[in-house]
Amino acid sequence: MKNKPNLPDEIWLGRKDYSFWTDWKVNGWLFAATIISAMSDIMFPHVVREWPVALRTFIAVMPFLALVLWMRSLAGWIRGMDELHRRITVAATLASVGATFFFVVLWHRLERAGFFQAIFPPARTSEATWDISTVGHIFLLMTLFYFAGYRFFNRRYQ
Amino acid sequence: MKNRLRELRAAKEWSQSDLAERLGVSRQTVNAIETEKYDPSLPLAFKVARLFKLSIEEIFESNGR
Repeated sequence: MKNKPNLPDEIWLGRKDYSFWTDWKVNGWLFAATIISAMSDIMFPHVVREWPVALRTFIAVMPFLALVLWMRSLAGWIRGMDELHRRITVAATLASVGATFFFVVLWHRLERAGFFQAIFPPARTSEATWDISTVGHIFLLMTLFYFAGYRFFNRRYQ
Repeated sequence: MKNRLRELRAAKEWSQSDLAERLGVSRQTVNAIETEKYDPSLPLAFKVARLFKLSIEEIFESNGR
């Protein structure tokens, strides 16, 4: 019988207990989703746009299929934690999802209001946008908020 | 919640890691219970009681009374 619970530090890069293999098992599908999303974001305007609509739809939805698999592996890993770490991790995850949602919606509304374009006028030839609703951006925000939340909730038990 | 976990563990000459391994939890969890920063769930309290062959009331005492 496995008596050692999963530890959050096992997927925290730079910590003593960090394990690349565990990190890969837990977050592999998130990595795949980010790569697929980034590739399609880069290729959509030029290459993918010419493809049949069924294929375009499949490519647009693919990162979300990978995200479902990621959530499944993450849930399994959290179930394997002891009760204290499960409590801290669930609290940090909820804080991370909430903060990311808040940030992305606020950012979107500021963009629609022309806030960023007013501060940083775009160059005429630039195709850059202020859109942050890609898997890559959301992954970075969630990671940032998760670690901040984890530090916050973990502090009270140390 | 007050508890005698540190005292009982010391009597057995176990480290926090030893006790954590026996209970199937992390060392941080044992430390948080001993320092009264975390109240264990009922299943974990039963596990602790069984390990030390005592009743839950002999180990844990509510602050609320």
